[in-house]
Amino acid sequence: MAGRIIAVVALTAFLCGISFATFSELRIFLPAMLRGAVVTLQVSILSAVLFIVMSFLAGIAKDSGTRLVRWLAIGYIEVFRGTSLLVQLFWLYFVLPEFGIVLSPMMAGVLGVGLNFGAYGAEIVRGAMLAVPRGQQEASVALNLSDRACLIRIVIPQAVVVMIPGMTNLTIELIKATALVSAVTLVDITYASVQQNQLHYRTLEIFTITVMLYYCFAQFIRFGGSALEDRFSRHLRRGH
Amino acid sequence: MDWRWDFTFDVVIPRLWEAAGVTVYATVASFLLALVGGLILMLLKTSKNRMVSFAVTEFIELIRATPLLVQIFFLFFLLPEVGITLPPLTSGIIAIALYNSTLCAEVYRAGLQAVPRGQWEAAMALNLSTYRTFRRIIIPQSLPPIVPALGNYLIAIFKETPLLSFVAVGEIMHASKLIGSEYYRFTEAVTIAGVFFLVMSLVSAQLVRLVETYLQRSIQR
Amino acid sequence: MKGPKIRFEKVLKAYGELKVLEDLDFHVDENEVVAIIGPSGSGKTTVLRVLMTLEGIQGGTIFVGDEPLNVMRKGDRLVPANRAHVRRIRSKIGMVFQSFNLFPHMTALENCIEAPVQTKGLSKSEATAESLELLAMVGLTDKRDHYPSQLSGGQQQRVAIARALAMRPEILLFDEPTSALDPEMVGEVLNVIRDLARSGHYTILLVTHQMGFAREVSDRVCFFDGGVMVEEGAPDDIFGNPQNDRLRHFLSKILEAT
Ligand SMILES: Nc1ncnc2c1ncn2[C@@H]1O[C@H](COP(=O)(O)OP(=O)(O)OP(=O)(O)O)[C@@H](O)[C@H]1O
Ligand SMILES: [Mg+2]
Repeated sequence: MAGRIIAVVALTAFLCGISFATFSELRIFLPAMLRGAVVTLQVSILSAVLFIVMSFLAGIAKDSGTRLVRWLAIGYIEVFRGTSLLVQLFWLYFVLPEFGIVLSPMMAGVLGVGLNFGAYGAEIVRGAMLAVPRGQQEASVALNLSDRACLIRIVIPQAVVVMIPGMTNLTIELIKATALVSAVTLVDITYASVQQNQLHYRTLEIFTITVMLYYCFAQFIRFGGSALEDRFSRHLRRGH
Repeated sequence: MDWRWDFTFDVVIPRLWEAAGVTVYATVASFLLALVGGLILMLLKTSKNRMVSFAVTEFIELIRATPLLVQIFFLFFLLPEVGITLPPLTSGIIAIALYNSTLCAEVYRAGLQAVPRGQWEAAMALNLSTYRTFRRIIIPQSLPPIVPALGNYLIAIFKETPLLSFVAVGEIMHASKLIGSEYYRFTEAVTIAGVFFLVMSLVSAQLVRLVETYLQRSIQR
Repeated sequence: MKGPKIRFEKVLKAYGELKVLEDLDFHVDENEVVAIIGPSGSGKTTVLRVLMTLEGIQGGTIFVGDEPLNVMRKGDRLVPANRAHVRRIRSKIGMVFQSFNLFPHMTALENCIEAPVQTKGLSKSEATAESLELLAMVGLTDKRDHYPSQLSGGQQQRVAIARALAMRPEILLFDEPTSALDPEMVGEVLNVIRDLARSGHYTILLVTHQMGFAREVSDRVCFFDGGVMVEEGAPDDIFGNPQNDRLRHFLSKILEAT
């Protein structure tokens, strides 16, 4: 509830800021910043999709029966968690071409952020799957469901409820982390504000708007996360 | 791909080694500041004054919802405008410390909450002074959850220091960027930087785990 | 004359050093109702779990019909059973758990049709029609769209029975089906099991602590202690004229408790 109120307040403040900026001389830097905001949104959405896919793949693979698959997952998780996101972005954009793989800035940014967060999400997915009671798998065996059907129809739907809070937090972290994509020459909202600030020297206004924007994104994700959690957990609560 | 070992040993490793000093300095300084900052924030947050605790809670919320990089830029640009000239390394350390102190505050709070209420009451019943209660009863019990969490933040801070390269602080990432643009070769420098981070964080994660089991065992005795 | 429906031959089940079933020989005839009784930790649940392939065994052979469960014939050699073999035999067996293990994210009806649709290739409407009949049989037609969290324990266990029946098993395993229930709900579940036992269509293995019920519905009672079958016989002999000291001791303790 408090979060929702804060979101409304923040949104209002942000709109006031925008209108203030539009009707004053500050409007000179607004278009550039909005273009940056669009880039931030694009990178966020695309890398969030990759993040969720990788979280599931690696989270499931880490407990897989095949040793090779398990080691691949562990390697992926350790490497991407052990090195910095910034290092990974650089590597994708500046070193990969040495291997003959040239990525566009957008692709490098999305890949870097998505793969990095997938490594963190994998642990959340795995933990959530382990939290599903063993009896559920035993019932699946007794009903002769295949391993695949048990995973897809029984375990994952129940694990999703458990993983939503953790994944919501990571998604917010992911949006914040997209601020690094200027390392691969993308002009996102953060870099746009740096550029505009270097032109116009209006640090306080420019950065207030930027902060508000990120804050609104975060509140939006938090709201969506709790709505999802409500929806998924409606029938899972014990008793009535 | 061609990897040049002579270039690696003659140029990359010496320059990264120098820069590693800056990385370590920035990590340690930010961490120590964050430890203290977190304590202050936690005390303010749990303050009896409703206004203070509300303001601090919202401040923490705002800091956490914003990218650290934005905060680094913000301080970097803002401080000179208000007449405070600090080297970028210092303002960067302040930004990292501030960001992480909001996280540390949460760790402290959770750690203190992990001590059962009965322990406070028992200490009160024994008529221990506040200092003794904390020193002998509360802190020893809240350390096992707090210390590993702080250790993980130390590792996280270490991995955040590359952000300082955005404001031209000469840490490892900045050094490898410079090498890249001077020699038009990124492969060696960026890869070595990556390996450096990987090794350091794997080793320190292992250390944190050791400390964790040590603390757990010491409280059970 | 056909052989027994279920046959354990020198079955050994061990967890590390601990031998839970030791050289167990045991059989159940077609459409026979067998009750398994015994003190806690005697291996009753384990008998059902190894039969359901929830646990592997370390020695011996389990036959279902005349087919071995853990090995299969390849040419004229015996090799460890592959997944398809295990699943084919498993499809003849249904199990009802002490703690129901219903799928909490599915309604009563969805719980019942899930496995037939996924594994037997039934269409959704066929499976629904069959499952509705089964739900009617256990007296839960009006609960078809309720989620497990909206049902009482007794109702959940009846759904679990309907769910097991929806797979059209030949063998039914019940592991203390009423132990997790409040006393007033035990009767409704026992009624359903009694009907199944009397129908004569199923080979039933029932682990229970309800001695009266075991005596009433079963054709044969087996007493387990310490991983071996100590005594077996007709219900009236087992309860009326126990031979073994351990069985007498066990029965007298149960009588004391009730
Ligand atoms: N997964 C396991 N690992 C180790 N030991 C186990 C495991 N499962 C069961 N056991 C042991 O096997 C023995 C038999 O267990 P089982 O569950 O078959 O007993 P039971 O007769 O069903 O008892 P109860 O009446 O309490 O249900 C027990 O000693 C138990 O501790
Ligand atoms: Mg049992």
